[in-house]
Amino acid sequence: MQYGMIIDLKRCVGCHACTIACRAEWEVPVPYQRDWVKRLGPTMTDYGMAATYYPGLCNHCDVTPCVSVCPVDAVERIFTDAKSGKTTTLKVTATWKDPFDGTVQVDKERCVGCGACADACPYGARFVNPAQADENSVGKVDKCTYCKPRVDQGLVPSCVLACITDARIFGDLDDPNSAVSQYVKNGAKGLEVKDGHLGPNTLYFGTKKDMALLFAEYTPKLADMDSVKRRAMMASMVKPAMRKVQEIGVLGLAGAMLVKGLSENDEK
Amino acid sequence: MAFNLTRRKFLQTASLAAASIPLSKVVSASTGVTKSALDATGTAGDKTVVGGICEMCFWRCQLVGKVRDGRLIKLEGNPKSIDNGTAICARGGAGMKLLYDVDRLKYPMKNVGKRGAPKWKRISWKEALDECGSKLKSTVDQYGAHAICVFPHGASAKYPLRYFERVVGTQNVSESSFFQCRGIRDTAYVATINKAPGEKVDMANTKVLFFIGVHLGENIHISHVKQYIQGLQNGAKLIVADPRFSASAAKADIWVQIKPGTDTAYLLGIMNYLVKNDKYNKEFVEDYADGFDEFAEGIKEWTLEKAAKVCDIPAEQIKEVADMLAANAPNVAIHPGRFVSWHGNDFQRQRALACLTGILGAFYVKGGWVPAKMPRVKGVSWAWEDHDHDYDLNYDPEEDEKIYPYSPPGTPTDLIRDCAITGKPYPIKSCVVWGQNLIQTIPNQQKTKDLFKAMDFVMCVDVLPTDVTAWADILLPELSYLERYDQIKRGTQWDFSKEHQQYIAARMPLVAPMFERKDQVYICNEIAKRMGHEDKIPVKTIEELVDKSLASVDLSIKQLRAEDGIHIRPGKDPYVMPEDFEVRLYNEDIEDTGFPGVPTYIAVPDTPKGFARLLFGRTPVHTFNRSQNNVWLHNAMPDNPVWVNDEVAAKIGITDGDTVGFINSEGVESTTTTTVKVTAGIRKDCVYMYHGYGSTNPLMTTGVNAGVDAQSLITILAVDPETGAHGMRNNFVKLIKNGKVLDIPA
Repeated sequence: MQYGMIIDLKRCVGCHACTIACRAEWEVPVPYQRDWVKRLGPTMTDYGMAATYYPGLCNHCDVTPCVSVCPVDAVERIFTDAKSGKTTTLKVTATWKDPFDGTVQVDKERCVGCGACADACPYGARFVNPAQADENSVGKVDKCTYCKPRVDQGLVPSCVLACITDARIFGDLDDPNSAVSQYVKNGAKGLEVKDGHLGPNTLYFGTKKDMALLFAEYTPKLADMDSVKRRAMMASMVKPAMRKVQEIGVLGLAGAMLVKGLSENDEK
Repeated sequence: MAFNLTRRKFLQTASLAAASIPLSKVVSASTGVTKSALDATGTAGDKTVVGGICEMCFWRCQLVGKVRDGRLIKLEGNPKSIDNGTAICARGGAGMKLLYDVDRLKYPMKNVGKRGAPKWKRISWKEALDECGSKLKSTVDQYGAHAICVFPHGASAKYPLRYFERVVGTQNVSESSFFQCRGIRDTAYVATINKAPGEKVDMANTKVLFFIGVHLGENIHISHVKQYIQGLQNGAKLIVADPRFSASAAKADIWVQIKPGTDTAYLLGIMNYLVKNDKYNKEFVEDYADGFDEFAEGIKEWTLEKAAKVCDIPAEQIKEVADMLAANAPNVAIHPGRFVSWHGNDFQRQRALACLTGILGAFYVKGGWVPAKMPRVKGVSWAWEDHDHDYDLNYDPEEDEKIYPYSPPGTPTDLIRDCAITGKPYPIKSCVVWGQNLIQTIPNQQKTKDLFKAMDFVMCVDVLPTDVTAWADILLPELSYLERYDQIKRGTQWDFSKEHQQYIAARMPLVAPMFERKDQVYICNEIAKRMGHEDKIPVKTIEELVDKSLASVDLSIKQLRAEDGIHIRPGKDPYVMPEDFEVRLYNEDIEDTGFPGVPTYIAVPDTPKGFARLLFGRTPVHTFNRSQNNVWLHNAMPDNPVWVNDEVAAKIGITDGDTVGFINSEGVESTTTTTVKVTAGIRKDCVYMYHGYGSTNPLMTTGVNAGVDAQSLITILAVDPETGAHGMRNNFVKLIKNGKVLDIPA
């Protein structure tokens, strides 16, 4: 099973109902976002004047550079299939691709908020949410979960529920009879990276000119993984520093200043 | 793009976040107290409260609230709704950010500074109401009821509006929804088909959608947009006439890049072609149209070539559009528009739209103009009282006729404003502003300010400290639409091809009120008592008003709540032509009042050399100025980029993302700046921006100085001669970059 989402640009009017519904559902603080709508054009394309939208969100990719870069120690985790109740155990870090539904998720308790995964994502779909800071971090990585907690209860994702023109269609791409699979047959495509294969599962469907505009402006490149890895390494150095704050907690702000100092030393 | 969070930024964030950890939290963490849940829980488990009716705009979608610990967490469309369904737009979804806006008015306030530069002092409701009552009463006693002018807007203003009109007896009421928006449309259609058209086009089931300036997608009303998209999905063709490649133009089969202001000429060109080539709906015209011969004669000069020249578009394209309409008639949706007060020649354009619908036979047919069969619910309000109409400003005693014979209800804004400023023909001394931010709704802000300066007393009722509230003596905090009962919303299923159903819903609060905010019935009744009208009060509470109204359809608040906020019952087939239906292609009555009885194009002023015409419209994330202070919506679109043609931009040396200000042809400069959007999708002779930005009141801490207020640049007044409504697109601007004024090349 692989959950996926279709964005039907013929139906989309760029109204932002989805982004606000997401913000409300998951209490995403401004200016961060789990999903977004960018307005494209008007501009000339090979097929005439075009203007469309890029309603973006996590692509829950087949290949997940965000998962592989996570520096947190892998531990065993039991996964349950929401449909059948079947379980399986995998060793995972703080972020993984779900073995049953294909969604990419984050463990907020284990995430150290280093942001390496955010850097690794070529779509900019992850961010460090400072509202989720705890004693060990400046925040936790936040992203679209395809509304897994809702979907597992039989509800539709919040953005799908709110969409005013039914332009967002959610379902199982592995099921050939699903509405999303029909769209794939009709030519829905993901924003695959220029220089590799990630297999995005958020797919776009639209007129030739709108698709041409979207893909011309928002086809990403793979992230420079060397830099990302450096960042991940750095994160594991910052982590103990943050713990120190706990230990010297009574010092309060002074302690915080110390962390600032330590971080800067890191940079040097 | 991949490195959206750089290493440097990460470190900055890290140090900032660490610095902001409160001491208590750090200490408790070190002592091992359980930390709070990190992730948001989602709203699936939260309590659902029914009965919400949105008023982030005036389409009034039906809502439910997700409430956690007494706090509204999320708004969703009411799943029972046959109008918007579970859908809710960005503005609707961001409603809680209005509800909990820290800038909201909390207590009655008295201005102890100056009007326009207020100093606010918190006062009690008793003191505030005593002041409003006594000041308004003394105006009436000294000068008469007509010396009070009223500027209402929105659902909460209805009850006080009726009070001032019916009981106090002033005609000096001006609603922006009529005089700066859609009033012209309504009276022009009444003069043609005897009905206000609303936006009642059966777009879901049409073969051709025809939009003049309508920009659905940027203008969002959910069930309306559902109809539009359904129509396109069903294969309807879309024709969009707009100087700009709007959201609708982007989905269009034919984009007519028309010269601003010439739309009537365009319509006349289409109609004359249809008539001359026998492509109109003869059967319909014979059965239902009046004055066809005069009409055909009156428009005969409008050859394709002439229209093409005036409108600056190819003649061939006009023919293509006309043929497309004729080939698909009568199942064509000629959209009547909504905001139509453009150029001061708008009544004639709206008449032309109605006539085009007529000669295509597109009334009461599938895909045409089709009014839904609505449930009737009795309104409850103040009783009419007899008042003499000697003080009607829209009446010329010498000629014994109306100055603006096709004025929408109320009095044309400038008649009131001029009278207030000059004191002629009589003094106007008190001003009641209820939910209308008239600094940003009415063109020529200086004149509006002059009106306030001429008053003995100004009171404002609002939810937020909008720009107009700075001119109040007394400022009263109102309950928002999420915390109060209110009048009835009714309608039908949005797609007429589906089972005919009707619905009735009433606004019910989703959460309890906070601070000292009050509803309109309380505020108005208390003022009425103080003006000596206690015996005329129709209802004691807003609940009583709603219950009495619902009783007319055997419903009650209690019953509605039991039915999840919406009562649904069988509906009726809307595709039934009324027996007395008539389309007055030529209207002799209009001619009798001295205006053209056949739709006529009146040329708009040319753009002065070096300037561009200022066009404006909607963004889907704002309802003009009303939502500007909303943190979520502001974040979604923090300013209103000005659209500039790419060739023009290259010539004057501006690039995408530049920061610019404006100066108009009367020398008025914008007080703020915005960014530039360079695009091929706009004509060279105009620029475009979203309306409602650029609030100036510093108490609007989110919206203040965000983008440029288009209204501040609209100083040339164009008044539609038949209706007295404002045309707001006859103003011209130059861009200012780095202090340098840039001439727009011709």
